Amino acid sequence: MSAIASPSDQPLGGGRNAAAQDGQPASAPMPQGRRRTELLMLAFVVGVVMLAYANVGLGLNGKVPAGMFAYGLSFAALVGAAHVAVRWLAPWADPLLLPLAALLNGLGIVMIYRLQLAGRGGNPGVQISTMSSNTTAFQVAYSAAGIAAFVAVLALVRQPRTLQRYTYTLGAIGLVLLALPALLPNSISEVPGTTAKIQISLGGFTVQPEEFAKLALAVFFAGYLVAKRDVLALAGRRVLGIDLPRARDLGPVLIAWGASLVVLIFESDIGTSALFFGLFVVMMYIATQRSSWLIIGFLLFVFGSVVTAELFQHVRDRFIVWLDPFKYVHTVVPSSFQLVQGLYGLGFGGVLGRGLGQGAPYNTPLVQSDFIITAFGEELGLTGVMALLIIYGLIVQRGLRAAIAVRDPFSKLLAGGLAFVVALQVFVIVGGVTRLIPLTGITTPFLSQGGSSLISSWMGIALLMRISDTARRPAPQPIQDEGMTQVVRAG
Amino acid sequence: MNHALRRVSLICLVLFVLLLVNVNYVQGFEASSLANEPGNGRTFTSTLQFQRGSIITADQKTVAYSKMNKTFGEYQRHYPFGKMYAPITGYDTLFSQTGIEQTENKELSGSDPALAVHNLIDLITGKQKKGATVELTINSVAQQAAYNALKTQGKQAGVVALNPQTGAVLATASYPSFDPNQLATLNGTKLIANDKQLLKDPNQPLLNRALNATFPPGSSFKVVTSSTAMTDKGINPNTQVFAPTQLKLPGAPQPLVNFDGEACGNGSGRVPLITAFTLSCNTAFGNLGLHLSAAQLQRQANLFGFNNPNLTIPLPVTPSNFPLYPDPAQRAGAAIGQESDTVTPLQEAMVAAAIANQGTLMKPYMVDKVTAPDLTALSTTQPTVLSHPVTPAVATNVTNMMIQVTQSPQGTAHVSAGTQATGGIVIAAKTGTAQNGINNSGLDDAVFTCFAPASNPKIAVGVVVKGGGQGADAAAPIAVKIITAYLAAVGN
Repeated sequence: MSAIASPSDQPLGGGRNAAAQDGQPASAPMPQGRRRTELLMLAFVVGVVMLAYANVGLGLNGKVPAGMFAYGLSFAALVGAAHVAVRWLAPWADPLLLPLAALLNGLGIVMIYRLQLAGRGGNPGVQISTMSSNTTAFQVAYSAAGIAAFVAVLALVRQPRTLQRYTYTLGAIGLVLLALPALLPNSISEVPGTTAKIQISLGGFTVQPEEFAKLALAVFFAGYLVAKRDVLALAGRRVLGIDLPRARDLGPVLIAWGASLVVLIFESDIGTSALFFGLFVVMMYIATQRSSWLIIGFLLFVFGSVVTAELFQHVRDRFIVWLDPFKYVHTVVPSSFQLVQGLYGLGFGGVLGRGLGQGAPYNTPLVQSDFIITAFGEELGLTGVMALLIIYGLIVQRGLRAAIAVRDPFSKLLAGGLAFVVALQVFVIVGGVTRLIPLTGITTPFLSQGGSSLISSWMGIALLMRISDTARRPAPQPIQDEGMTQVVRAG
Repeated sequence: MNHALRRVSLICLVLFVLLLVNVNYVQGFEASSLANEPGNGRTFTSTLQFQRGSIITADQKTVAYSKMNKTFGEYQRHYPFGKMYAPITGYDTLFSQTGIEQTENKELSGSDPALAVHNLIDLITGKQKKGATVELTINSVAQQAAYNALKTQGKQAGVVALNPQTGAVLATASYPSFDPNQLATLNGTKLIANDKQLLKDPNQPLLNRALNATFPPGSSFKVVTSSTAMTDKGINPNTQVFAPTQLKLPGAPQPLVNFDGEACGNGSGRVPLITAFTLSCNTAFGNLGLHLSAAQLQRQANLFGFNNPNLTIPLPVTPSNFPLYPDPAQRAGAAIGQESDTVTPLQEAMVAAAIANQGTLMKPYMVDKVTAPDLTALSTTQPTVLSHPVTPAVATNVTNMMIQVTQSPQGTAHVSAGTQATGGIVIAAKTGTAQNGINNSGLDDAVFTCFAPASNPKIAVGVVVKGGGQGADAAAPIAVKIITAYLAAVGN
């Protein structure tokens, strides 16, 4: 770990010194890679996930699942590969992010496996019509793809600042991805059984472009705001103790607001629109430090919600159902059936849960996607849900910590935005299914069934780890111990 | 930017705290109200996944049990005696419960805190959770005699038999009844159809006429009036009382008359109280009503159990009514069981039981004990005193008068409940024939309250037959059948 001990192991390129870290005592108060901590926690994660997997089999039919060994090996191999890649590509990265993400991903696969078995193969419950007998296999494949994307991002983005070069390219890509489903015919872009137009479905293969648009737009916002932050922060008048921006500087925020309304109206996707707008406003705030943006953003959001609720029945229905869910259980429009079944599941689980495989989460429609947290609540109880929320909270905290530690403003903004969007997404979906706020369907990061969300979540973790790697990497030591050479730290 | 980032961390913290507080609320506090939300299939389905406890009689006859239905993969409730025990067991369906199934649900379903340790041991040892067994005080011989007797006479009726010394309910039958097996079906569509049919039935088979239907008591209330007069006026069975053929009532256009307008006794206008009681003279007891105060009569009625809306045995009991009658004419009518007086068959049995138990009324109860699946007793009901309506001396005097009702050749129940009808058992009783409808145009309700054997009471019975005519004709034979069957079973 000590960079002083052997000058040839200077962490200049990041990759070269990875092997040299092990076995060396931490003698100096230098930043540490802590890769062994990460490995230890990954072993713990594999253990927890394997126990959960065995628990599902025992809960459902009293037998340990047949494929447990092969499954455990493949999961261990996946997280092991991610760990080796981190040792090689980002040795100084935060050691917690990978195990936290891996634990969520592993538990998500276990829950999808449990839901897939309901009512199938002599197991108790009702078969979930929206799941096939190979849904879990697909989810494992998506996880592999997610970890591959994770490694690819770490390999391609060696310095977070390189992304800044592609600010407008990524901005354009993000907007196109966001708008694409709205422009495509319903047969391709509509999620079956809903009015949401959020996917591209071709030849049995479905992609939700918004999941990737989220990352691209976060990069775009960071690049744009770094360039404009001075004028956004300094120009303007002060009214009632609030620094108001100039009218022309409001342009970008209004465009972002308009875009989120377009998503809401043409794609019926309230959750995603709230997510994008929230992301933008918070990044504006981080860039300018002016709380007026938070206030303006919040007011615009409230105004937009009220107006769309007035204009569009399907938006208004969300509010109606939220206020009095038990009244609309058996009505067709609006219907609270899914929400109420989710609540019944949470209540049925109580404090300690029914145990994996022993609840009835199959009663909740589409429980494997938006409502997966209610399945955890039912079978692992309040205890399990709180543990999951704390895991998310830790991911957000590690992301924000990287943002504070890193020096480069672009990286700061990007990490801050990426960390916040995880918090906001968890708040919108978990708050929605637990009736804290009106329900809007978005995926639960790492847990929900589906490839796009999983892959983009892994890419987001890769970006956060890249930024934390940059932040925690020790400054290069002078090659000659003369104290004369001034070293300019990069990144 | 670090300042803003720290603020954003705070915002994120607030978001997560809100989520954590909310899931605590939903899963911790709201869980039970969500479970009780009608239409929550999870709650009911989970109760079908394990064996609900059985309900058995005091002599170990199983009257309700659960058995695995292979087709549905769930436990189904069975009621082997069908209609006979329906007013007691009630039913346990997808949507609702009644009777013992409802009041003892926690024990039967195993969710009672007393069963927590058993459940934990079962969980650890991998044994299936099972509900507790509820043992009733019901005697199957008395119950069978009661239901069959009601069924034979065929009119709407209710009957209760009590053990006077303990208050244990020996039999509770109601007619017409329903078959709870119809509602125990696991087929939801069939259940709804059966339920609709029962609710539509004009004979109201779901109504428990033993506990939840009230009728005018008629002359059977004279037991209460006699008790009041003996307690408050110090008279005894031999006291000569005023008993005219017609009793003029203050402020009323019509005088009070006896049954069919007959004279009371020898027509002299004065008879001993015991004679008036044996012949059931309305004028004598109406006159007692005039001389007793409204408060005195109501106090005595309350001690016998009237006007008590909180009585549960543990099935809820509809209160029997005896309001305050400040108007003397109305009070005279009330003293012979007319006006606004109402009783349940249980109330009739309670009056007889109090007299039989030397003036002490025991609280009626139906659940003797609850046994865990491993046969350890979880709870056993101890008999408790409800009240002391009369002194032992008054009780003995009233008993002597009630014996004359069946034993004296002039007694109103001499033919139907005398020793030749009972095979030698001496029953102490009072009949009632309650007038009904506008201007008494309806069919009379037949009422009978009694206990036996008179010298060593083991059973007290209250019967009401709606539209049965004279109490001695319609109601007394039912009580006789129950008493003879029960005493033959337990030995007298």
